[in-house]
Order: sequence, then C-alpha cells, then structure tokens
Amino acid sequence: MTTDTLSLYIHFPWCVKKCPYCDFNSHELKSELDENTYTKVLIKDLENDLAIHNPNKPIGTIFMGGGTPSLFSGTAMGQLLRQLGERLDFAPDIEVTMEVNPGAVEHDRFETYLQAGINRLSFGAQSFNDSQLKALGRIHKSRNISGAVTAARRAGYQNFNIDLMYGLPGQSVNEALNDCQQAIDLSPPHLSLYQLTIEPNTLFDKYPPILPPGETSEQIQNRLICLTQENEYLRYEVSAYSKPGYQSQHNLNYWEFGDYLGIGAGAHSKLNIDGVIKRIWKQKHPANYMKSLRNSVDVANSKVVPTSELLFEFAMNALRLTNGFHLSSATKATGLSRADILTGLDNAINQNWVHYDPINDRIKCTTFGYRFLDEILVNLLPD
Amino acid sequence: MPFVDQSHIRNFSIIAHVDHGKSTLADRLIQLCGGLDLREMKEQVLDSMELERERGITIKAQSVTLQYKANDGEVYQLNLIDTPGHVDFSYEVSRSLNACEGALLVVDAAQGVEAQTVANCYTAVDLGLTVIPVLNKIDLPAAEPERVIQEIEDVIGLDSSEALSVSAKSGIGIGELLEQIVEKLPPPTGSPEKPLRALVLDSWFDNYLGVVSLVRVMDGTISGGKAKVRMMSTGFDYQVEQVGIFTPKSLNVKTLSTGNVGFVIAGLKDIKSARVGDTITYTNNLAKESLAGFQEIKPTVFAGLYPINNADFEAFRVALDKLSLNDAALSFEPESSQALGFGFRCGFLGMLHMEIVQERLEREYQLDLITTAPTVIYEVLKKDGETIMIDNPADLPDPSKIELIKEPFIIARILLPHEHVGSVLTLCVEKRGIQKNIHYHGRQVMLEFEMPLTEVVLDFFDQLKSVSRGYASLDYEYVENRLANMVKVDVLINGEKVDPLAVLIHKDQSQYRARELVSRMRKLIPRQMFDVAIQAAIGAKIISRETVKALRKNVTAKCYGGDISRKRKLLEKQKAGKKRMKQIGSVEIPQEAFLSVLKVGD
Repeated sequence: MTTDTLSLYIHFPWCVKKCPYCDFNSHELKSELDENTYTKVLIKDLENDLAIHNPNKPIGTIFMGGGTPSLFSGTAMGQLLRQLGERLDFAPDIEVTMEVNPGAVEHDRFETYLQAGINRLSFGAQSFNDSQLKALGRIHKSRNISGAVTAARRAGYQNFNIDLMYGLPGQSVNEALNDCQQAIDLSPPHLSLYQLTIEPNTLFDKYPPILPPGETSEQIQNRLICLTQENEYLRYEVSAYSKPGYQSQHNLNYWEFGDYLGIGAGAHSKLNIDGVIKRIWKQKHPANYMKSLRNSVDVANSKVVPTSELLFEFAMNALRLTNGFHLSSATKATGLSRADILTGLDNAINQNWVHYDPINDRIKCTTFGYRFLDEILVNLLPD
Repeated sequence: MPFVDQSHIRNFSIIAHVDHGKSTLADRLIQLCGGLDLREMKEQVLDSMELERERGITIKAQSVTLQYKANDGEVYQLNLIDTPGHVDFSYEVSRSLNACEGALLVVDAAQGVEAQTVANCYTAVDLGLTVIPVLNKIDLPAAEPERVIQEIEDVIGLDSSEALSVSAKSGIGIGELLEQIVEKLPPPTGSPEKPLRALVLDSWFDNYLGVVSLVRVMDGTISGGKAKVRMMSTGFDYQVEQVGIFTPKSLNVKTLSTGNVGFVIAGLKDIKSARVGDTITYTNNLAKESLAGFQEIKPTVFAGLYPINNADFEAFRVALDKLSLNDAALSFEPESSQALGFGFRCGFLGMLHMEIVQERLEREYQLDLITTAPTVIYEVLKKDGETIMIDNPADLPDPSKIELIKEPFIIARILLPHEHVGSVLTLCVEKRGIQKNIHYHGRQVMLEFEMPLTEVVLDFFDQLKSVSRGYASLDYEYVENRLANMVKVDVLINGEKVDPLAVLIHKDQSQYRARELVSRMRKLIPRQMFDVAIQAAIGAKIISRETVKALRKNVTAKCYGGDISRKRKLLEKQKAGKKRMKQIGSVEIPQEAFLSVLKVGD
C-alpha cells in the first residue's frame, strides 16, 4: 500500500488532564472545547497542504490521535470526515481509527462515531489496576475500560485496539501478566503493549518514579510474548500484536515508510515528492496554530531528508516489523539502490543482527538483533 | 613608564595556599596602583589561562610591574611575581622566589596555616627574603586573627607581631600593605656595571612572537638590538628582538636594567632553548658564572594517553607538541598498546599537572582521550645484573627475570588540626607510611611520614582531604628509592588481557585492591549485548572476578507514528555516549574505567 495510497493523521491536542509520562503535544483543556473552530482550521490546514502538493492518491487510512480526540462529539467528527471526503479521495476499504480515553467518552457516543465513519477504535487503557492508573495520572478507573469496550461493541464496533503499558512503578511480573490477561478477556482483535519509558520534558522526567529493575521488565516482556501467543495474537511489530487480519493499517504505513499527511497542531507529514523525501511539521501550540490559520499565516515547516539519512530513517521504521521488509519495496520507498541498502546494512548483517534472505529477497532482524534494534540504528546514524 | 632608580624598586611574591586569596589580593594591588581601569579588571587578572581561572589556582608564573606613589612622595616600582600554589609546581615557586627580595605570606584569617604555605615560606626564608605576614579575609565572621598569628609564629617561626590585617575582597588595609612593601622590603642588590645576568623565570610560546621569556635582571642591563645573548646552560646564542614589562598589559621598553622584571622576545621557535632557571648573558661580555639553582625538571608520574578515536592520533601528536611549547615539564613519547592502539606515554610533575594537561587537551584541542592509571618510575634490577627504569607496568620483565624492584620514597609533611590526627595517622600507615616526626603547634599538628610515592600518586591526597574534612594539607619531596615487594596485576576483559589496565601493586595489598578494582569496573562498564567478564590476575592466577550481565534488550517501545524527531534525538544521545567509550575487542569500555584503578578505597 505504500505507493498506491496515502495516510492521513489528524491531531487533537487537548486533554482533560496531562499525564505525567506523556510527551505528546497535548494541553489541558482550560475552557469550553470549540469543536467548530478547530474543524474549520483543520480543513484550512489541509487545503493549504493540497495547494502546494496534491498527492493525487486515494486516502487508505485516517488516524485521529491526541491528546484526546474522543472529547469531540460524533457530530463534529462526522462533519469533519464529510468535509475531508469532499477534498480527498477515500479508498473503498479505508480504515478510520480514533483514540478513545475510557475516562473521557460518553457511552452513547459510540453509535454516532460509527455513523460518522470511524470504523476502528483504540482504547488508551494503560492498566487494569486502579492504583497504577492513579499513579499514571489517568482519569479513568479499571471498570471504565470494560464499560467503554462493551458499549463500543454494543454500538457495532468489531475492530479495536487496547493500549497497555508495562514496567510500571513497583509492578511485579504477575501484576503485569494480570493486566494483560484482563485486556485479553475483553477479546480485542489488536493489542499494543508498551514498556513505560521516561521521556525528556515530562513530569516523570522531573520527578522520576522508581521503575522495576531491568531484569523484571525483560521478564515481563518475555512472559507477555508467550501469553499473547497462547491467545493467538501475532506479534508483528515491537509493541503491536493482532489477530489475523486486524493489523493497524495506519501504523503499518508508517513502518513501511509510506507517505502520510498530518493536519492539526504539531502534526507531522512525510511525503515522497518526485523521489525527494520531505518531512513537514505544523505549528505546535494549539492556540497559535489556530490563530495563524485564521489569519492565513503559514503553519508548516519542512525539510528534505538528505540521502545520507534515508537508510537510517527507513530502517528505523521497517526493522520494527517482525517480518522486516522486501528489498524491492525498500528501493522503491527510499530511491536507494539495492547495493546502497545492502552495503549500509553490511555491519549489522556481519554481526548477525540482521538477516538477508536472498531467496525471498527480504531483510529482517534476527531474534537477537530484534532485542537490540536501537544498537543497530545507532550504527546507521550518519556522523 | 618613567625610569625608576634601583633603590626605588621592590620585587616581591605572594606566598599563599590555594583559596587563601592570593589572586584577589594581586588584583587589588593592580587596581590601586592604576595598572588597569575598572573596565579592564577581569576578576583574577593574573590567572590568565581559562583553566586557572576556573580552578582558582595559578599554574604558570606571571608578573606585573606597578607604579606606586608612596606617602613619602616618591614613586616606586613594584614588581609582583606570581607563584603557583600547588605542590606539583614547587620548582616554579622556588624560581619565582629567587627573583625577589621580599614576599608576602598571605594566610586566611579563618583557616590558618597550611603545609604548602609552610614549605614555600621556608624556601623564601632560606633564600634570604624578607617576609611580611598578612592576614587576609579579616572581615569574615569566622576570622580569628590572634589564633592565626600564634600559628604563624609556632609553625613557621616567623615574628608576626606586626602582621597586617587586610581584606583583599573589600579593600581593607591594602593602602597600609603597599606602604609596608616600600618600607620593609629591601631594594634589589646587583650592579648595573657588571656583565648581564638575567634569570629566566618562565617561558611560553606565543603564536605570533615565538618564545617569550619572563626574566629578572640580576646584574647589568638588557635591550633589544644586534648584540647576541647566550643561554648559559646550553651555550645557545641568539638575538634579542624586544624587551618589555607587564603593567599587566604588555608594554615595550628600551631597556631592562638591574632589578627589573620583564619579558624578552628572541624569535626562538623552541621553548627548550629558553629553560626556566637558566641565566641569560651577553655573548661579547660573558658573566663569570651563572645564577644558582638551575635544575632540570623531571617528571615523576607517568601515564599512557590514547585518543578514543584512532584517527585522532595525528591531531593528538600536534596538540602535545603545541602544549609542550608552554609546558617544559611535560614529556611524551609514542607508545602503542594492543588494546588502545597508538598513543603517548606522558610524564607529569604530579597528579594535578596530569589532570590539567588532560583537560587542556580535551578542551582546547577537542580530543577525546583515555588516560591509563598513572604510575611512578620503578627501578628494576634484573637477574642478569642489568638495572632498568620502568614507567609502564606493561614493560615489567617476567617475574623470573627480576632480582628486585625499588620504588621511590618521599617525605610527606602534613599539617592538620589536632582533632584529625588519629584518622590521618591510620591513613598514612595504611599507605605503607613510616612515621618520622610529630610536632604540636597549638591547634595545628605537623606530621612527617616517609611514604612510597606510588601510594601518594594513587589516591592519597583525596583520601587525606576526606578523612580530615578538607583541613589537612600536604607537601612532599623525594628521598630515595627503596626495596619494594611489588606484583603486577593484570585485568582481563572477557578473557583478554587489557595491557593498559595493568597495575603494579604492593603484594600485601594486591588481593584487596584487585577485588575493589574489579568491582568498581563492574559498576562503570555499561551492560552490553552479551555478558562481560572482568577478571584480575597475578601471572596466570585469577584472584578476582565479576560479571556485567548482558542487557536483554535495547529497543524503544514506542515509535511515535508520524514524528520521528524525538526517537531520533534519543538515538543520537546513545550515539554520543558511545563516542566516549573505547572499543576493546567487542566490549565498549568508558573512559572512567581506565582511571578506576586509582580510586580504590573510597
């Protein structure tokens, strides 16, 4: 899908409350949410983008991320998607995902979301342990998760993901497994299991919680891999697990180095324009972003990815996939030659971190290298 | 600057411990004599090297010529010759003092006398200098002038009944101090009629001028011109291009005459031909004998320095060449190591000197370096009767070929408040010290210990400071080489001997030190993709082992959808961290691990 379709990311930068681990572009909502104005500026943002480079490709996936997009009503989402559809060509099998905060969604909304055209949900559950949820600064409780999932299913949602975090402060191996089991009990077709990492410029970075020792987190991860396998989830990316046919198409597009357009405050785009790969990012602070667009001021910054960094950027995404990538798709996505790619990965191949399968012409991490992906990438970073 | 008669010249130094306010006092004197206007006053003018100012210590001698109009209405020329305040540079101190008729003994009115000050003051008295005791920081609430005066009298034996009380910081008593300098210090002796004899106090390399020497004219006069001058120790002749003084700005003058202190520029390219302590005379009017006290400076501490990135070797060589232009005490020769590649074996005056050189190389020349554990020079008598000097443990012959090993011993003088005597005595004995003397002077105690230099080089100074809560001070000098029961301890990383990590340790301490070393290294070596075994061995016998457990994974959990910049930043940070490490075999070892052998015991 990388060359035939385009993905669209829409950022919703507001939250009820900022979580201490979160380094995303999210801001606590201080006043009444103005759905109409934001919808209008999003459309304007898109129109500005299309005026500069119209990709002329159908939209394969849409992802509404945040922040907390579920603060927006089904009506607002419906209007937004309708207006997007007037300006873009949606693929017939388009996947439209919205992130849902189990603590910031009214259950009668799910039907309206579905009517609006959102056909996949991603629940930010994080944990099923109430004291952990509190420590993570989440506004929801464990029972809100099952409540939200049940309501969504009742409204007609079949395709959804549950986000979980592990390696939480004071967490034991059993507690982590218990969390995951509770998620599996809700039988989601997709699971994302992230290890909690302390990101720069977050509250946790300033006041670090005591995380379990490395050995414990490693043990948790290994046990989680077994547990998901037993329940017939397939691990297709470092942190992503799915039932057959339920992989996140939107994320796959990132990992396969496909093109995407990002609209909304601080959203990022990546476009291959006549063989030149360009990254674009929008003004970050929501108030400034909206003000600029209303006053017809440009909100986009961009840079061309130099050839010397293409392999690194490509590998950073594609090697995350358990099956790696096909060499011909790599040459197509980056414009590099087969020799460029194989020479660049020479060291990693020699170290047995990465394996090249000449029969199928595929490259992927070895089991060992997959655990040390960052080491491989650091070696690919240009000086 | 007008000519001043020899009787109106006063040459003096300031003797003070680090932090006792020497540089601040110098600044105040310069300011009061109008050497610099307020706009030009950078704090601590005389400490011109960036490093000196940062560490608050003086490394190289400097001088300043000031004009002072005294209360008697006459104008005097005051030449202040700065001296380094650390034991590593005591040779430079004695050179500076040699050029003076007087010295100000500056003691912190709250902290009292320190060992280094005592040693330098003795040198001054031995050289026949008039010493004026000065209590500084008199305005501090903790100042105890009476106690400190008593201490100066007890410990140094200097009459301090007329000691001056000043505060260099707030300017209290500085006017009185200037008057006393004029009244009490004698003018320089020496005769302008005699053949020229000028003492080289310091030499440094200037990119535009070549070698610049700071000199004190003892007899005769020196000017720029055609007549050649000669360095008396080497017999090397050259032409003087320019002479001048520092006010502290450099100011060219026609002539430096007897008693003057100033600079001589001779267009020399090699600093080794203008050595500190040498005597300059005129080739066509030779002085009968050179001035006393010329001494070759010998490094006492040696360490291997290696660029982390082997490609930097050439840049490193150039940097050492340049650095040695200004640092005659620094010696270096190429050496190679299986583990570290090509580098240099460098000789230093002491640990501080070593740290300063390393920091300058990293800061001024942007080199990332690995420094191996410093060692002293061992005298090894082989069974075949040959004696060799060993400054690198890796060069030690096979034990079966060694008849005996001798190590350098020093005498250490430690001055400390009496409440810490117990712990300092324990420390000295632990370091194989032999007590020679103990004197009580009021609250201060002077201890004399004979100790192996190698123990002092390792970590003695830091430990001394820590057991005495920073109050003990140390001065030492070389005594002789003595028989030593040393063994070579090798360090193996994943079974491979890493030669730069080898250390010579006294046999009685080898077990304990090897254990400490290995456990320290385990903490310093980051977890890698496989287990890393660290072993210490004497010969083939492993005496200690620890393992750095393999990292199970290193992968970012979340790849942030569209925004790759954050993830990229994290990876760049990891890469920068790796740059500070040296790859040995497949193991990455951080810089600190190489010096960890030093830190055993805290």
